[in-house]
Amino acid sequence: MTEILRAENIVKRFGQVTALEGVSLHVEAGKILGILGDNGAGKSTLMKIITGFHQPTAGRLVIGGEPVVLRSVDHARALGIECVYQDLALIGGLSIFHNLFLNREITHRGPVRLLNNRAMRRLARDRLEEIGVNIPSIDVEVERLSGGQRQAIAVARAVHGASRILLLDEPLAAMGAREAGAIIDLIMRLKTRGDLAIVMIMHNYAQTLDIADRIMLMQRGRVTYERESAATSVAELMEIVRREYRAMRSVQ
Amino acid sequence: MRSVHAFLRWREASIIVVAVLLVAYFQVTNSNFLTTANLQTLSQYIAPWAIIACGEIMLLICGEIDLSVGQVFALAPFVMHFGVTAGIPLVIALILALVASALIGLVNGAITVSLGVPSFVTTLGMFYLVNGITLTISGGSPVNTPGSPGFAFVMGEGGYAEFIWALVVVALMHVLLRHTRWGLHTLATGGNLVGAAESGINTGRLKVGNFIITSVLGGFVGILEAFRIGSTDPLAGGSNVMFLAVAAGVIGGTALAGGAGTIFGGLVGAIVLGVLRDGFTLEGINAFTFDIIIGAGILLAMLSNIYLGRLRTLGARA
Amino acid sequence: MTHDDGHDVARRTMLGGAAAGGALALLAGARSAQAADAGPFPAHKRWKLVFVNHVTTNPFFVPTQYGIHDACALLGCDYQWTGSQTSDAAEMVNAMNAAIASKADAIAVCIVDPRAFNGPTERALAAGIPVFAYNADAPTGSGNKRLAYIGQDLYQSGYQMGTRIAGMIDSGLVAIFIATPGQLNIQPRFDGAKAAIAKSGKKITLQMIATGPTVNEELNAIHAFYLGHQDVKGMFAVDAGSTQGVAETMRTYGLAKKGVKAGGYDLLPRTLELIDQGFLDFTIDQQPYIQGSYTVMEMFTFLVSGGLVGPAEINTGLKFVTKGNVTPYLQSKTRYEGNSASPQIVVLKGPIVG
Repeated sequence: MTEILRAENIVKRFGQVTALEGVSLHVEAGKILGILGDNGAGKSTLMKIITGFHQPTAGRLVIGGEPVVLRSVDHARALGIECVYQDLALIGGLSIFHNLFLNREITHRGPVRLLNNRAMRRLARDRLEEIGVNIPSIDVEVERLSGGQRQAIAVARAVHGASRILLLDEPLAAMGAREAGAIIDLIMRLKTRGDLAIVMIMHNYAQTLDIADRIMLMQRGRVTYERESAATSVAELMEIVRREYRAMRSVQ
Repeated sequence: MRSVHAFLRWREASIIVVAVLLVAYFQVTNSNFLTTANLQTLSQYIAPWAIIACGEIMLLICGEIDLSVGQVFALAPFVMHFGVTAGIPLVIALILALVASALIGLVNGAITVSLGVPSFVTTLGMFYLVNGITLTISGGSPVNTPGSPGFAFVMGEGGYAEFIWALVVVALMHVLLRHTRWGLHTLATGGNLVGAAESGINTGRLKVGNFIITSVLGGFVGILEAFRIGSTDPLAGGSNVMFLAVAAGVIGGTALAGGAGTIFGGLVGAIVLGVLRDGFTLEGINAFTFDIIIGAGILLAMLSNIYLGRLRTLGARA
Repeated sequence: MTHDDGHDVARRTMLGGAAAGGALALLAGARSAQAADAGPFPAHKRWKLVFVNHVTTNPFFVPTQYGIHDACALLGCDYQWTGSQTSDAAEMVNAMNAAIASKADAIAVCIVDPRAFNGPTERALAAGIPVFAYNADAPTGSGNKRLAYIGQDLYQSGYQMGTRIAGMIDSGLVAIFIATPGQLNIQPRFDGAKAAIAKSGKKITLQMIATGPTVNEELNAIHAFYLGHQDVKGMFAVDAGSTQGVAETMRTYGLAKKGVKAGGYDLLPRTLELIDQGFLDFTIDQQPYIQGSYTVMEMFTFLVSGGLVGPAEINTGLKFVTKGNVTPYLQSKTRYEGNSASPQIVVLKGPIVG
């Protein structure tokens, strides 16, 4: 199993606040890692470091076996690291295909590089078909789509030929059962591609254990528990969490 | 009927309908409206607002505004004048004036983006600053606009010259907004600033660029007008031309809140405002009641536009 | 263009448009062209006389508008009062062009810019529309082809003011406030005053201060100047708003008692009050009422005689109003001074004093 992503002892401080106190993780190709934890545990910060949005205060990242210092989001994307944020980073007023190609637009050659909408439309349709997302028309403005459809578009944008690592921040947040089902199917299809390492931040323990191969529990900037999904259960995870905040309550 | 349907899908459809109705109304009440002489006058009302609207629309789309553009309008011809009196050839002096306008736009953008000052406040301060600079360097006195008759003719003195320039600017800006990455990213920045930044778009550079475009267009129009009337006047432009340009953009379908807009709609908006102003002047309305009538006219045009626009979206949803 | 999914909106759009159109029709109201009353002239259409002004809402021109209105009523004509509120020459040029396009019968314009009005004037004359200048005239040699000027001889009035100033003040700092320098209806007054003061040989340091085209900002500018130059010996102005501002400033700081001299132009009501109270030494009446009514007379005579009776320059005069003769102005509120709208006849009692 090829290990695609490894983070070693990542520390992140914002001024006086320490968000991450030495977090390590690893993911292999064709595998899904689920990251669980309360708000403020540091999950989003960890995500943003892996996507190149933030620089770690200490620790290092190893991508595909090579140690890497990520200079920017564009640099990370060039290395095949893609992220779908909770707010989806979609532009409501723009069409599906414009969103799919945002900041990576295809232009005609020439002194003034005009947008090549026809090529973008064609490629957009192909890409959506490839990963099995069904949308009636790619000209529709994204704000007109349902939550589930928009999540699918955001994922489709992140996934392309050269993607190696896909990060998903709360992909099933605020979704009803049916739409969640469609997204879960999409993620599983991406897993079967075999070349993507997928990391998901989740809140719903049951869903996570169903989807992810391995889970990681984060509390207050540290990894407090890590196990194969098959080897643990919702009850066990809940017990760990309960222990944590019982300890907090007794301190008061 | 199919082509009517296709037309009605345009965002600009409702304001075009309003414009046509207004033209019809004024022609019926005064047969002098659609004469060659009046069409030329009308075109001279419309051109400045249409050109400046192009810049303001780009700024409105990405969530900003420029209140100082009317003052750059007054300053640029003076920079050109001082260039000529210093012995610089006229064309170079003109370019220098545009460069000076661009610098003002750059400062507007830099302060707004880097210091996080709301653009309303930044450009309000710049409004007074540039006004003061213009009055100081001109001593408050108007001067004759320099230039050979041929050059002046092309640069605004000819009857339709300014309007033709306006059409050129509108065409170029339309292509910029709808067919280039710059325009697409401007829409993205206005629609979802955080999202656009997360996608790697340099939203700061984009906003500064749009401020520069607006100031240069303002300076350019000021120069065109100075050639048209032959006189370079420190009292030219001002807040009025800026408000009308923003109004033209908004009437034409650009949201004040940002995220969506149309350059072509800005031209139609300027046409609506020009038709109202010229039409009522033609009818002989006196200055005191003029503003009442114009204000009511603009409100009515805007309400019709919104009403017709709602019908359009309802039809789309049905 | 931007596209949306569209359906059967056509019918509803047209209905909506018709509703908007109906509302617009109600808005303006019909204008019917009536024939004018006869009298010594054969029946003629109501000629449309367009007056283009640089500060259409400035109170100074209210009597002018009354003058135009009264003369038009007498002669069976219609008038339009238009132009710019902020001395914007481009707006005024647009208004002139609109007047030409609307086939006005005559145009009068305040020529406040040395060059901007030459083109429109020529175009109007070429279209057979007579053009007159009122209140402000083009400088000699400017090339403007207006047929005649009706208004005050601006340079002369300034010269007379300058002579009076030199008579009141022997030496020191004197400020003359001007709303918009370079503008042709007021700059010549300053130039005249400056020449007269220079000729007098008195050791007077003259400063020209710009105050702005609206009354409010003029007052602020004058206050600010005084506070920065409290040794000033005389404060004068060459336009209505600045004159009122000078008078107010004189009152606020009690400057008349300190021996500061002041004076200006035009008969704004407040200015007259402050003359009566002794805060302002004089003001100059340029008689705006007849700038309106005499211009209409000239236009009418030109139109009725087909240009055979040529246009003539009319000097609407210069009159110094001081505390000594201000009383009748204060006691009457008339259309002729602009502070009353009711029609009236003022009966003059007693001998006429020059």
